[in-house]
This record gives sequence, C-alpha cells and structure tokens, in this order.
Amino acid sequence: MSEQAGYVPVVGAVAEPQPAPEKSYRFSEQAIQELEEILTHYPDKKSAILPALWIAQREYDGYLPPQAIQEVADRLERPFVEVEGVATFYTMYNLRKRGRHHLEVCTCLTCAVMGAYEVVHHLEKRLGVKVGQTTSDGEFTLSEVECLNYCGAATVVQVGDKYFGNITKENVDELIETLRNSNEFTPADLANAIVRLHIPERTAKK
Amino acid sequence: MADVPMVNIKINGIALQAPQGEKVIEAARRINVDIPFFCYHPRLTMENGANCRMCLVEVATPRKNPDGSVVMAKMPKPQTACSLPVSEGMEVWTETEQVIADRRGVLEFLLINHPLDCPICDRGGECPLQNNTIHYGPPTSRFIEEKRHFPKAYPLSEYVVFDRERCIHCARCTRFTQDISGDAQLDFLFRGADMEVGTFAHTRFSSRFSGNVIELCPVGALLSRTYRFKARPWDLMTQKSICTQCSNGCNIKIDHRVSQLQRVNARVNEAVNEEWTCDRGKFGMDYVSSPDRITTPLVKRDGEFQPVTWDEINTLIIDRLQEAGAKVGGIGGTRSSNEDLYVWQKFFRQTLRVNNLDHRMGPHFRPTNSGLYARFGYHSMNNAIADLEKMKTILVFGSNLVDEQPIIYLRVRKAWRAKGAGIVEAVPRSMKTGEEANHVGEFASVRLYYRPGTEVALLHGLLNVMLYENLLSAERLGEIKNLSIVQNAVKSWAPEIAAKECGVEADAIRRAARLLATDQMAILAGETVTQHPYSEDILNALGNLAILTGNPGNINVPVTENNQQGAMDMGILPDVLPGYVGLDQPGLNTKQMLQGAVSGEIEALWISGVDLVNRFYDRDLARRALEACSFVVVTEHTLTETAQLADVVLPTQSVAERDGTFTNVERRVQRFFKAFEISPEIHPEWLIFSQLAMRMGGTAPYFSARDILREIAASVPIYQACTPRDLGDQGVRWHYPAANHTADLVGVEYRAPAAVSA
Amino acid sequence: MAETLVLLKHRDVPGIENIDIYEQHGGYAGLKKALAMERDAVINEIKTSGLRGRGGAGFPAWIKWSGIPKDTKKPHYVLCNADEGEPGTFKDRELMLKLPHMVIEGMIIAAYATQSAKGYIYIRGEFVESARSIRRAIDQAYKKGYLGKSICGKEGFDFDLYIHMGAGSYECGEESALMSSLMGERGQPRLKFPHAPLPIHEGVWQSPTLINNVETYAAASQILAHGGAWYATMGTENSKGTKIISVSGHVKKPGNYEVELGYPVLDMIELAGGVTGGKLKAVIPGGSSVPIIPAELCKDFKLDYDAHQVVQYSMRTMRLPVVGSGGFMVFNDKTDIVVLMRRTAEFYTHESCGKCTPCREGTRWIFKILSRITTGGGLPGDIDLLVNICDQIDGRSYCGLGDAAAWPIMGAIKHFRHEFEYWIEHKRSPVGEDCLPPAPEPLNPLLTLTPV
Ligand SMILES: Cc1cc2nc3c(=O)[nH]c(=O)nc-3n(C[C@H](O)[C@H](O)[C@H](O)COP(=O)(O)O)c2cc1C
Ligand code: SF4
Ligand code: FES
Repeated sequence: MSEQAGYVPVVGAVAEPQPAPEKSYRFSEQAIQELEEILTHYPDKKSAILPALWIAQREYDGYLPPQAIQEVADRLERPFVEVEGVATFYTMYNLRKRGRHHLEVCTCLTCAVMGAYEVVHHLEKRLGVKVGQTTSDGEFTLSEVECLNYCGAATVVQVGDKYFGNITKENVDELIETLRNSNEFTPADLANAIVRLHIPERTAKK
Repeated sequence: MADVPMVNIKINGIALQAPQGEKVIEAARRINVDIPFFCYHPRLTMENGANCRMCLVEVATPRKNPDGSVVMAKMPKPQTACSLPVSEGMEVWTETEQVIADRRGVLEFLLINHPLDCPICDRGGECPLQNNTIHYGPPTSRFIEEKRHFPKAYPLSEYVVFDRERCIHCARCTRFTQDISGDAQLDFLFRGADMEVGTFAHTRFSSRFSGNVIELCPVGALLSRTYRFKARPWDLMTQKSICTQCSNGCNIKIDHRVSQLQRVNARVNEAVNEEWTCDRGKFGMDYVSSPDRITTPLVKRDGEFQPVTWDEINTLIIDRLQEAGAKVGGIGGTRSSNEDLYVWQKFFRQTLRVNNLDHRMGPHFRPTNSGLYARFGYHSMNNAIADLEKMKTILVFGSNLVDEQPIIYLRVRKAWRAKGAGIVEAVPRSMKTGEEANHVGEFASVRLYYRPGTEVALLHGLLNVMLYENLLSAERLGEIKNLSIVQNAVKSWAPEIAAKECGVEADAIRRAARLLATDQMAILAGETVTQHPYSEDILNALGNLAILTGNPGNINVPVTENNQQGAMDMGILPDVLPGYVGLDQPGLNTKQMLQGAVSGEIEALWISGVDLVNRFYDRDLARRALEACSFVVVTEHTLTETAQLADVVLPTQSVAERDGTFTNVERRVQRFFKAFEISPEIHPEWLIFSQLAMRMGGTAPYFSARDILREIAASVPIYQACTPRDLGDQGVRWHYPAANHTADLVGVEYRAPAAVSA
Repeated sequence: MAETLVLLKHRDVPGIENIDIYEQHGGYAGLKKALAMERDAVINEIKTSGLRGRGGAGFPAWIKWSGIPKDTKKPHYVLCNADEGEPGTFKDRELMLKLPHMVIEGMIIAAYATQSAKGYIYIRGEFVESARSIRRAIDQAYKKGYLGKSICGKEGFDFDLYIHMGAGSYECGEESALMSSLMGERGQPRLKFPHAPLPIHEGVWQSPTLINNVETYAAASQILAHGGAWYATMGTENSKGTKIISVSGHVKKPGNYEVELGYPVLDMIELAGGVTGGKLKAVIPGGSSVPIIPAELCKDFKLDYDAHQVVQYSMRTMRLPVVGSGGFMVFNDKTDIVVLMRRTAEFYTHESCGKCTPCREGTRWIFKILSRITTGGGLPGDIDLLVNICDQIDGRSYCGLGDAAAWPIMGAIKHFRHEFEYWIEHKRSPVGEDCLPPAPEPLNPLLTLTPV
C-alpha cells in the first residue's frame, strides 16, 4: 500500500492544535464559471456546497485536501468546518487521494449473496491490497460500498462514472485489464461528470 | 407575553395552561415534573437538537371523529418533549412503564461507548450523564463488545481540551458556536457511529467565547485546560461574583478551594450576560491567585522594597501627606469597588481637602468630558444592554465591538439573529475584518469601512440621504427647532461626495441610511470615536443623527473598564462629587496632576489600582511624573511597572477576597461577595483610607462594605435604590435624572483628516 | 399473471429517452391535458386515481398536492426524490435512464398543480448514467417549451427544473434529510410534524415544498394522460394502480417488473423466471427495510399497501410493511440468513447519519453482535438482546432509518430464530460451508466500510 496525500484523521495523541493549512486557490476559469451558473439555481450560496465540492474534487485531482475545502468555503462564504462537515458526511467525496481507478464493489444484500465477497477477496489477492487501500503503483484503490441499486446485475462494481454489472470472480480480471489500458473512469472523471450534470445545455460552454 | 394565546394541557393528569408554542419540557418544568434531557437548551436552536432522545414522553392529542365526537388519540411513537410544542387538549405522560423503559434504553445506548472514566473526569460529580444514569439508567450494561477509543485530551485551543471518547453528540457545543457566538468553529465531522465534533483540519478553536462550551457540554468531553485535574466539584466552594475584565460586569461564580481560585463559571443574569462569559473573563481571572501577589505593605529604602507593618506605613504616609499639604493628587480607581472609591474621595475631599482626583487615562478625558452630557444629560451607555434586542437597527460606529465589549457583541448578534434587527457596521478601514467570522461584519447588513478621520463626512452623507430622500418623519422634522443648521451642514454631502471622501460606496451609504432611519435605532460608538482628535465633532454628528431619527436616548459610548462607571458615579473626577454634584473649585485632571508632579506643584501622588505607565496615553509623561514626584503611593495586587516606581506599595484585596459593588457599563450596580482570604495583611482599600482618615482627622470608622453602601445609598441620590438588600443577586440600574430627550441640533463642520493619517 | 405495463409500456422502444419519440408514444399528452384544466381539477384527478407515494411509505399523493397553500407569498418548490438507496431497489434508476421525460412530465404537472416555479431532482451521486439521461431530457424539454417561461404557451406558468446530485448517503433519501442535503448541509433529518411545520408549509428554504418519489411523478403523468378513474381500475381497494417491482437475487431473470398492486408474492417469483441455485428459502419483498418472509409463508402475502407482518415486542405489537420501495429480493436455500442480517446491519450502521442516539449507537451495537455471532463468538442470550435493542431503536429514533434498521432484524429473528440459535451453539453456518465467504476485515475497526 502506498502512502497517500490528503486528509489525515488524527489517530495518535497530539500536543497542540495544528497550524492552518496554507491557502492555495486552484479553481480554473471554467470551474468558476460553472460555480457561478450553479449559484443561480439556488436562493442562497450555502445550497451550492455539494456541487461546489464536486467541482473542487475535480479541480484537485479527484480528492479534497483541506485546501480544497477552504477554497469552497471561501467562495461560498461559509465557515471552513461547516464545509468540512459536509465533505466528511458523504462517502463519495474522497478525503484522500485515490488510485487512478477506484474500484467500488457493491457488497450489499443482493450482491453479497450473488458472490460479491468472492470478487472482493479475489481482487484483494490479485491487486495485493486490502479493502480501502491503494496499490503501490497508484493504479487501483479497492473499496467496498453500500448498495449501488443495480441489484438486477449483481455483482456491481462502480469505477469512476460507470457501473460494471454482472461481475464475477471469473470475469473481474478482464475488467482489471480493461481498466489498466483505459484513461477513462477516473475519480476526476466521476467528479467532472457530476459537475456537468448540474449545468444546463443552454449555458454550457463547449 | 400577553398576546400569546394560552392552551389547556395535562401533564401526568395535572391540568395546566401553557402559552401556545411552549415546549412540553418547559411546561413540565413549571409544575415541577422532571423530564431528563441532554441536548435541550433553551438558548440554542431546536433545528439541530432533539437528538439525544432522553426526553421521550408519551403523548395523546384530541382527534375529531367524522360524527363530531372527540377522542384522545395516543401518538404511536413516544415524542421528544424538548421539541414538541404544546397544543390545545394535549395530554402528556412522563412516568409510564414505556417511558421508563425508553429512558433506560437511551442511557444504555449512550453509555456503551462512553469510557466510564468518571473517577478521573473533571465533570464527575456535576455531570448530567452521571446524574441521569443514577435516576433513570439501567443498573448494568449488556454491552460486551469493544468500546470506541480515541486519544484522551485532544487540545482544541489553549483553553479547551476535548475528550472525544466521552462525547455524546448532543450538538450543544456546535450549536453554541453557530447560534450564539457565530464563529461556527465547531461542527460535526463524519457520520453515523464515526461522527465526531471537530474544528477545521484540527486547527485551533480560536473563538473568543470558547469557554462557554465547557459549561454547556453535558459530559466531560469539553474541559478547561486550566482547571483540568485541579479539583473535584464537591471539594469546591462557590461564591457569587462579578467579572473584572471589562466594564460589562458579567455575573460569575468563583469556584475556589484552599484559598485559591480554581475556575470561573457564568452565573445567569438575563439583563447582563444571560449565561455567557467571554474567554477573557473566564480564563483571565487567575491573577486573583497569582503567586506574584503582594501580601504586605512595602516601602522603598535605598532602592529596595522592604516589608513593613501597617502601623508603620500608616504613620509614614500620614507624615508625608501632611508635608505635601494641598499638593496631593489621586489617580486611578477603575478597578476598585464603589465603596473603596466613595471612601477614597471622601478621604481626599474631607480629610486632605483637595479635589485632585481623576480616573481617566485618554487624551480627551472621555466620556465625562464630552459634550454628550451637556446636550443629552447622559454620558456612556444610556440604553440597557437588553434593550438592544428591541432595536430594529443598530449602528456599530468606530468600534471593534467584539473585543471592546464581547458580551454586548453577543447581544447585538442576538438582536440580529433572533429578532431580525438590521446591523450597520461603520468602522475605520484598519479594522476591516473581511471574511473573518466572529465579528460584527459577519452579519451586518451594511458595512462601511471608511478612511480614518472621515467619520463626520460619513455621518453627513447619511443625514443627507435621510433628509433629501425624505426618509424621516415629517412630523418630527417639523418639531425640530434649528433644523436648518443640519440641513446646511449636510447639503453639500450627497452620498457620492461623501462616499468619495470616505472611500466607501455611495450605494452602501444609501442602504445604511434607509436602515438607520427608524425610531428604534441604537448607536454603539467605540474607542476610535472617544480617542479621535475630533471626537467632539463625531459625537455631535452622532447626536444629530439620533435626534433626527427620533432616538435621542439611544447614543451609547460604553465605558471600557471594570468599574469605570462607578468611578465616575463616585466622583473620582476633579470637578464633581459623588452623583455628579458639581464643584465650585475643580481640582486637577490626570494630565494636569502629572504635569504638576514634573513641575513640583504636586508633591504626593496616590495611584490606585492602575498601571499608570502603561495605561496613560502619554507614557513618557507618566514616567517622568512618577520619578519626579517626591512621594508616590500605589495600591496594587502585584508589582507592576508603576508600582516599581513608587515609594510605598500597599497590597489590596482582589474581587475574590472582599465584598462590594461594581457599576457596570449600563449603570447596573451589582454586588460581589468575599470568596476567600489570601492573607490577613491584605486590606480592602476602603479600610486603608478609613484608617488614615481616622488617624488624621478623627472621623468615624467604617466596619464593612455594607455600611459604606448604606451611606452611599443615603447620601448619593442616584444610588438611592442601591441598598444592600435591594441590589439582590441581579443588581439595580440607576437612571440619569436629567436625561434630556429634547436636545437641540448643533452644527458640525467637517474637518478633513491630516494628510498623514491616510 | 402477466405484467401490467403502464409506466414501463414503452421502455424498450428504441430512442424513447428522446423527446420526439416520447411524444410519438403519447408523451406530454398528460401535461397538455393538465394545462387545459384548473389546478384543483388536476389534483382531483390524482385523488380519483388513488395514487399512493411509491417511495416506500405509501402516503396518498393527493393529500400532499392539495396541501400546498394557495397563496404564493413564498416561492413553492417541487422536489423529486431520486436518491434511490434502499438495497434491492433499482426501479428509479431504470425509469430515469429509459423514460426520463415521463418523470419530468410528472414534475411539471405537479408544479402546475402546486403553483411552483422551481423544481429540483435530487439524484444520488452514483447514478451518473441515469442523471445524464435526465439532463438530456431537461435540455430537450426546455427547447420544446415544456420547461422555462410560459410553458406550452400558458401565460404565467413558468417552471425551472434543476438537477442536484447527491454524494453518497442513503439517509438523503429520507425527505427531510434530502432537504438538508439540497440546502448544502450534512444529510441529517430535520424536525417533523408535530415538532415543526409540515414540508408542504415549510419545507426546503422554509417554503412550501412538495416531495415525491420518481415513480410517483411518472405515475402522475400517466394518470393525467389516461384519467384517474382508469388508473383506479387497477390494483386493489386501498392500493390502486401499478407498481414497479425490482426483482433480484436468486432468480433466473432479475429485473424490473410492473404489476398491479395486490400481486401475489409467489407469482412475482414465477414472473422473474423462478428460483435458481436451489429451493426458495425466503423473500425480502420491499427493500432491505421490510422484514423477510420465509418460503412457507410467501403464499399468504400479496404486494399491496394493506399487507403487513405482525411482530410482537415486549410491550407493543407492530404491523410492518411488505411492499416498501419495491425491492424484491429472492434467496435460495443456500443463503445464510444470519450472515445476511449481519450485512443488513452493516448497511444501516454505515448509513446512519449519527444525529440521534438510538440509531447511531443501536445500529452499531447490533452490527457488532451479529459480527460476533457470525464469527463464532455468539453467546446464549444474544438473540433476546438483539430483539431488545431493536425494540429500543424502533420508534425512538429521529427519523425512519432507525425503524428501518430494526425491522429486518426483528423479522429475521421471528422467522429464523433457529438459525441464530444454530450459529450460537455450533459456531458455524446452518447452511454449510458455501453460504457466504467471510467479509473482508475492515482496516479501521471504527469505519465499517471504505475508510477516508
Ligand atoms: C431512511 C429512509 C430512506 C428513504 N429513502 C428513500 C429513497 O431512497 N427514495 C424515495 O423515494 N424515498 C425514500 N424514503 C421515503 C421518503 O422519506 C419519502 O417518504 C418519499 O420520498 C415520499 O415520496 P412518495 O410520497 O412519492 O413516496 C426514505 C425514507 C427513509 C426513512
Ligand atoms: S462535546 Fe459535549 S457538548 Fe459537544 S456534542 Fe459532545 S457531548 Fe455535546
Ligand atoms: S433533550 Fe429532547 S432529545 Fe435531547
């Protein structure tokens, strides 16, 4: 498992509060325009926290370091910790850097009885990581997730913005190979896709 | 609350009336029915509350059948009494078998992850979780899995540590920072079983009000770093007291043990601090038990201080004072009690026969020296603190309110948040805080960050909008005598021109004017106004604004120091006796006394409880004066820089060691009580003066602060209602007898700031 | 019995997700009819149809629609709950993917009936594909004048529809938590009636708010197109119309099936091609929150809102729902019910928002006990303890998630107590080795699923 940058929960004892992370704004011109458009959808700025975090997740390589949270908070004029509270509440906001492909295997009820755990165990062996870890080459992060609500195609694996259905321990190797050779379905793609979903065509650029 | 309709409800079969909208838990408390709770707090919003589920009760409400008959329908689920509003005909049961089982269930859940380290927990003994468990909890737990673990004592700031294991997620602390203090520095992170309270990225919890969460937390999760492991609650003795850190006079409790102050908690006084304290007060009172306290009289011999007895020192002082004759001056007193001050001025005026007394340290001798008194019959703060809640608009002018008056800041914030008041913040640019929360700018509807020195131009601009956009009541304008003075003065100050001069936006001036043109508007002016070279102009312009909007009684220039108001009231001023009775032959003010000391006109100075060298605006003059003066007495707690320069230093008691009264910023006279004694050799100031007076002139002695207060009440008309008995726990406000609400307008010319101060 | 296709009638028409093809198949006819009617007449049509909310609770739709105040001092909002998160359910996903216009049409009708100018579809973050379909459909509808100003030429009827994507939280399907999430907060529930005004009076942004499930809006469009009376001819007395049932698990042809309400459970299994890999052991008929039904009782149950299971607690008798959200999961006899419940408990532990004590602490405790039992550490008394914990959660929590976490466990213990006992006594599965492999060990013992 490789050490990954990002949000570090304090596990050990600490002597004093930490210094504030240095601010660094990274929103691109396009991101700022998107945020402006999204702000017109709601009566107040606070409501745009979720989409703004999606933008940040895209702009910050698929995860939300403290600087990303600060940037969102500043742009929406909200307290930092409120935005951090939102970002840590939802599971799809990545607080630490993910691999180039994030394999999210549904192991909830139907998938569990249809062999999801076998898929997970197979992947653990195959990739040499445990659930929640990233391979040392930074290619894959393996996660278990709750029901992806595509139970008709159990077992389901979400990678980036795409669902892969009917995965078994037999055909999962194939999936891995496809992904290895693919530049799509990255965490940033997922964030980008979600951001774009908020933008109506009439205002969308490009 | 006359306009709130009452409804009839029953709690455990007891019929009662309750105002509509009241919560069941509050109605129950009025008839002494105990409903246990953790997260409920009357001052915190409900939206993020009702989460502990400790207050579950069974409820039935009347339901009409189609045929018109009414039956009581029991709600299928138990309801949280803390959030359920009463309604007509509602019946509530708080002691049924089901409710008892529910409470056990909730407590069992709360305890499964609680470390149960009560023996080493500061909260043990005064912990709602312990208390509720004893009364309502299960005797044993069935939980055998591993508990959740976190490192202990995670530091949130230099004042507060956080024990995450103990947190029961009641959201009191997070709601406090969101609803009350407004800095929103605590919030929940993560979710479900992993949820925890935290600051952003483990940074410092830098709120000015952080100490309050220690008291709010119903378990030992948020603890005081200074008090941690110092005492068990049942070993502490508690005494009612008043915070001395600023003029607000917050009501506090001093918890002490073995003659040492252990901690400070807030005491409820709805009119003053509700139940809050600021960190300056809560953690700044430890000077009381400082090891540096002076415990005997000291006299300087060959450049060294040597301890002496009171008898010796009194003889020495009397000798030297008699030598000096009328060349004596007294400076300070803002930290002394009213009783000390009364006896002090009496000693000076009746025994020494001099009027050289002053407590003021600034260049302009505000607030008493301002024209406000002459014009309106009051100085400092005319409104009550609690009145601010009733205002439609509050103008915070030239004040860094949160630092100058932290608790008044909380009121202003409450006026905005709970009562919907509009706030206008007008401060010099240097005080602009930008996005920083925990500041008036956070919630002000209009922010005016002007170029320093252009205050009058800004006020003219505001009046220009009001007068020429017809925002003011024509009827009132018709009654005002010399309206043309102001009309002429502001005519040329159209908002664009004023905006340019002040460096603000014209539109902001317009919006501010619209908000301010209401007859429920209060002005809070701060230190930049009182210390301004042209402060008289600014106060006059503010006065015009107040008169024209119909608020002549709402100008507030709060005094800043502990008992500064008391010092004024007790005549620690060269020109008035206690109660502002004018003197024919005024004495010297602070500056004149110091200049006199340098030139030899003053031979003896008595400095009372003030570090003059560091507080007087002209440090150099203060130093030279003290060095030149042949006899300097300082009454102090510790050897301050000023005390080092004295010939004699007398130890005095702190607020924790004596009885007395202070008068706070809104002229509320409040009692404090002796908590403990550090040394019998430390005397209250009134005793020092009383003994000297007795030996010098044979006047009658005083035996207690109560006696003196009785004499004050009898002899000072404005303190008539301030007998020890009448003051009670919550104090009494006195009112300016001559407050003049029909004052006239005065013309104010704008003087541009000197080029340097840009 | 066969399917009754109302909503899904055209799902296999190629290109139906495009507005032209949708219109060719009768699309937006309902909206046009609605716009020709008075607002109250539209609501009346819904009332006649007997439509009940398809999100799980089955609350009559017309009561909410007609409850929105008539004055428009404050803006009114129409929200669509597309946060489908209930394990076993995947109907909203398919509806949005294949028939996005039907959902939008229903929302526009609702907006007309409730005088709302703005609407939001709250789609769970994972549903990118479905959301893309909705996005395209919204853009098309704007072009055709079904959204925007003066819709279909109707003066004064303006409606803007926005997408708001979730970010991974089951709790946000709960309507008040959804509103929190829409307002940019943590997805925690808000106070409900009688503690606070109903959402129809003060919902999102303190304004009157109508919130319905995806399928409810889709059904509304068909009701307006074909008439409430026609819709009411289907289904049963109290549960009218059709319902999409998502069948998954050990069946030959998993997928979405639209049937009339009142459809027998056993027939449902037949419709999906029958059980695979062994004999039928049990069915969870309406999403993970509803109690399990063992094979031998399946014949007694029909899928409608009157159907219920009775569970007896120490002091109370509870009637628990059967249809729920329509997530119909079939399990063959190789399924270990205790392990299945452990997984269910893990789901609720992970998805509990943490706001209230019973749900936050109780779900985790249940999960820990079930984990212990399924790893051979069960103790006598554990079963009663589980029942008792469920009793302490159910009805005590802030929102329905606590109840939903307790019901399946109570149901499973009621019907499969012997399997729990077997695990406790023999420290192994009653169905043998090939039941379910052990769950992966969590990295952080606190975080049950993906760590940060
Ligand atoms: C924990 C919980 C999760 C829920 N999840 C969903 C959901 O994913 N989708 C949904 O439509 N309704 C869900 N609901 C039901 C909603 O609260 C609400 O009843 C529904 O959106 C109302 O729409 P309807 O009347 O059309 O059913 C959930 C309820 C609870 C208590
Ligand atoms: S730290 Fe204390 S006040 Fe804050 S949520 Fe936890 S128990 Fe409540
Ligand atoms: S006091 Fe009512 S829920 Fe906490």
